[in-house]
This record gives sequence, structure tokens and C-alpha cells, in this order.
Amino acid sequence: MSTPHVIVIGAGSTGSATAHDLALRGLRVTVVDRGEVASGTTGRNHCLLHSGGRYCMNDQESAIECIEENMTLRKIMPDLLELNDGLFVAITEEDLTFKERFLEACAACHIPARDIPVKHALEMEPFLNPKTLAAVQIPDGVFEPFRFCLAFLATARLHGAVVRRYELVTEIISSGKSVSGVKIRDYRTGKIETLGADLVINAAGPWAEDVAAMAGVKVPVQPTPGVMVTLDCRLNNMVLNRLNKPSDGDIVVPQRATCTIGTTSWKVKDPDLITIPPEHIEKMIDQGEQLMPIVRKIPMRARMAVARPLIVKDASDERNVSRTFECFDHSYDGVEGFVTISGGKTTTSRAMAERVTDIVCKKLGIEAECRTREVRLASYRLFFQGGQQ
Amino acid sequence: MKSLDITLEIFRYKSGEQPHYDTFTVQVDDTAHVIDAIDKVWAEHDHTLMFRRACHHSSCGSCALRINGVEKLPCITRFSDVGDGKIPLRIEPLRNFPIVGDLVVDVSGFFQRMSASDMSITRDAESTLPLSVDDLSTIVQPKVVELPDNLTHFNRFENCIECGICMSACPTMAVDNKFFGPAGLAAIYCALQKTDDPDEKAHLMALANGEQGVWRCHSAFECTEACPQAVDPAGKIMALRRELTANRLKKAGRS
Repeated sequence: MSTPHVIVIGAGSTGSATAHDLALRGLRVTVVDRGEVASGTTGRNHCLLHSGGRYCMNDQESAIECIEENMTLRKIMPDLLELNDGLFVAITEEDLTFKERFLEACAACHIPARDIPVKHALEMEPFLNPKTLAAVQIPDGVFEPFRFCLAFLATARLHGAVVRRYELVTEIISSGKSVSGVKIRDYRTGKIETLGADLVINAAGPWAEDVAAMAGVKVPVQPTPGVMVTLDCRLNNMVLNRLNKPSDGDIVVPQRATCTIGTTSWKVKDPDLITIPPEHIEKMIDQGEQLMPIVRKIPMRARMAVARPLIVKDASDERNVSRTFECFDHSYDGVEGFVTISGGKTTTSRAMAERVTDIVCKKLGIEAECRTREVRLASYRLFFQGGQQ
Repeated sequence: MKSLDITLEIFRYKSGEQPHYDTFTVQVDDTAHVIDAIDKVWAEHDHTLMFRRACHHSSCGSCALRINGVEKLPCITRFSDVGDGKIPLRIEPLRNFPIVGDLVVDVSGFFQRMSASDMSITRDAESTLPLSVDDLSTIVQPKVVELPDNLTHFNRFENCIECGICMSACPTMAVDNKFFGPAGLAAIYCALQKTDDPDEKAHLMALANGEQGVWRCHSAFECTEACPQAVDPAGKIMALRRELTANRLKKAGRS
């Protein structure tokens, strides 16, 4: 029997990490994306390498996954991370009531956390609100979503994977009840081509519903954008988080010579058509100002919004194999050879890829251990070399 | 906030067809950036339009193109920076790169050059916050700050986002495709700052001094002018030339 061929639709963080895992386990892999790598949800990302701090008080499972993946990514892509840690800061008395709970929750999730003197925090972060009442240091970091994906894909290509950009999947082909390939349209030439596959993975993020519909199955996605505002100046060395319940504008992520305040949340019908509500931009400045009062004086460099792929969940949905992201084996819907993976976070995309690749290997009768925890990724620059533009 | 009608003349090219310009008009709000208008053309008028984008905040470098003939990152370029909204904006791909389709260029040769120095995109930083904006000069630049517990240094991504804008703006690149180009030479300079290994230093200096190296530059400084990230490639090329000359003089003095 020849090596099974798996097609991954979508070159965001989920698709890229999945292609890498599949290729390492010896499968033939083709990744198809209608645009550039990370041109969808992943690209317009907050760039936060989560420590898990944001989730530890209300979603322990996610928090543990975040801190584990945070430590793994430090090993497999050490050159692709800005590692300056983060602070959770209490500005108000109400914020302060969360401190003990936060420290306990960090401990329960094995997130290294230190309650540091406010004086020290203000020395390290001179623009931090001088009214700060408490600061807890946690191992947040910063990545770059585009290069994050390129590194996974460059490594996948070294193991034989093929990445086809600017090509749109127009049809999912079935033989009987089983998916057998896709038709793709090349935007360079307008030509349509048929690609055979033993299995197709739908990693199209907020567009997953459209892709699933081509296979005749339903994945109800609610595209839920968030607004982020990037300032024309870096104001913080470390990631600054508001110590409180998760809310709009509760974080300022620094990167290079800028910092980005985020985020909000609202619902749209079409993830391709997002109009940024001006009041959301104002809200980011208002909230950012509470963490660092100077925020309002800094010119805006950019603002962006992109849809998160929130899947409308039914707790009793037996197709769903995970609680921290969504992975649907559509054989439960009567369609073989088709799997959807969605949700999750870029920080945890390697773990998502591991889970979906386990399922895919089982379905294809392949026995191979996951090695993505240990294999150091190739240089992202290699993605563009060796014949692919 | 008011809305603007923006007309774009976009360069189109598909394999086997004649290059031409297509004109589209879209409505955006007056705080929008040029990428938002291109995005709207794609979303509302023509999904076959090929363009590169990822981060929309000048961190990935993928969206670089030319607006009215000038290299820009459309994700941070406002309409007020390039016209009054009434003049059609001409949107074209970067120069000095092979065209893949429409606004997408083939960056493989560029990334090969960027790989030559093997410059890591992260570096150790002194600690302070770079306050580069002029009207912020009233803010007191923070002194060297104490490092957080557990960290031995602050860590930063390099300012170069490998957007290719300097390659497109460089007049030498236009006539001499052997030239390493501004970003690649600036990367050699940055890599030199990060190493104490004499062999590595010698290798990097040889690259800078080589056939593709710093001596091909005509000192037009267009790269530094166009760079959206204040990398100053021309300044770094000149610094490499000075160092190479100094080394040569030292050798001559010894012989």
C-alpha cells in the first residue's frame, strides 16, 4: 500500500502545525490555502505566547495546556520568541481582591508566578499606572504568527509536505460515503485541478463552516471578531495584563518598537466582511489608559480585527473530542475521511495538531509516535526556498 | 468618523495574460488604512485578487507594495498620507522581484539572501523602551531598568521585518540583480554585532566584502528613506565599508 495522502485546508497556525505533525509521522501532506500563509485569523493575532495566567482562574484545563505548550514552544522555536515575561497588575481595590485567588490558581496549574513588590514593577515598567496596587510576574511571551506558521511549514516541507498558496478549494469530492479528494482553483492561472486524498482536514478557522458544507456536513461557526489597536511606540518591556476577570482591553502586548492593546468581541455573519466599530477602538484606548496612563498620548500605528472561529457548541455533541478546542470526526455524520479542527489558540496549536494527527493516524491505520514536542523547527526563512514562492 | 469613497487602480497580472490595471471604488472610514481598502476590493468585488497580508500591524512584513509609485506597508499607511481620497491610488507590486500574480511577488530570492548571514530575528536588548516618536521627546527616556526576577536580559525581535521594501526602492537592485541588497547587508551587520566568534566574523565580513556585497551599493540611501522600520540599511552598509577599509589598512600596515 502506498503512503496515505492527507490534504490540509488552511495554512493558519492549526493547519501549519498539523501539516508538520503529519509529515513527521511519515504521511504525504498537501496544505492548500486561498491566500498567503497566516492571512486569516492567525495572522491578525495578538501575538501573545500565553502563560495560562489569563485562564487559570476560570478554565484550568486551558491554562495547563497553555503553560505546557509555552514551555514546549521555547524548546522547538527558541529563536522565534520575544521572552520578557508578563505581569498581572491590580490597579483598583476590586482588582486586588483577585490576587490571592490568582496566585493559588497559578500554583494549581503549575504556572510559575511571583508576587513582586510594586516598587520593583514600576522600576521595570516606568509607564505602568503609578496607582498599581499589586503585580504578579508570570512567563508570558510574544511570538510572530506569520513566522510561527512559516517555521512549522518549512519543517513540514523538509519532510516532504507540499504547500500550495493562492489556491482555493472549490469542491470536496467523495466516492460513496468517503471523501476522496478536492478540486482546487489556482488563482495564478485560473486552472482547476483535482487532487486525490485519503483524508481531508478542514482547518479553515472561521471559514470552516463553508468548507464543511462542501462535504455535506454542518459545523456551525460563529465568526466572532475582536479589535486590536497598535500604538506607534513600545511602552512596556513585559506583557501587561489586568488582574481581574477576563474583559475587553485587559492586555497590552509589546513587540519590537510597538505595543498592541486588545481586545473586544462581537458577532458577524461573514468573516470576510468585518467593519471595525469605532467605539471599540475608543474602548481599547480607555482600557489601555488604565494600565498605562500615557497610552492616550501615543499615536495609533495600526488597528485591525479578524474573526475568531467560535463553534456553537452543544455539550452533548458526541463528535467533539476535546474541550479546549474543537475536533470533529465527521464519520459520526456519515462522511468518512473528513475531519474538522477549529478553535483553540495559536499558543496551543501544536497540541491541537498532535490530537488531530493521532485521530487521523488511527483512522488511516498508521502507527507512529508524535515527535513534535522534541523536534526543533527549521528556520522560517527556508519556507520560501527550494522552488516554492 | 466619516466614510470615504476610495478609488484604487490595481495592477493585475495572471499567468499567460497581459498585465493591466483594474479600477475599483470602495467605501472605508477615514481612520482606515490602505490595506483595508484592498481587503474590501477582494471581499466585495473580486476574490481572484492576489495580495499578501497577515498581521495588519507592521510586524509580518508580508503586505509591502507600491502606492502611487512609493514603497509602503499598506497596513500602516492612511489615505491622508498618500492622497486626499479623490485621486485614484495606484496600487502596484514591489519592483525588483519576479511577479507571481497581481500584487504577489516571489520573495524566495530575497529570503535566500536573508538566510546568508543566518541573522537570528531576536536579540538581547539593553532594557530601555525605545521611544522613537519625535513628539514624545518630552517624555523622559527611562534609565536602564532593573531586570525582572528570573530574566538575565530583555529580548527583542530585530526591527527588520523582511518586507522587501528596501529591495524595491534600491536603484542598484534595479540594474544589478547580483547585488545582495540593503536588507541582507543590514542583516550581516546585525549578525556581526551578535557574535564574538572570529570564524563567524570572518565569514560575515567576507560576505559583505564579496562580489554581491557592499561595494556595489551606489549610496543612494533610498533604502533608508523607504524603510518602515527605521532599520537604516544604508547606514549599516556604510558602517560595513568603514570596517572593511579599516581592516584593509590594518593589514597593509602589518605587511
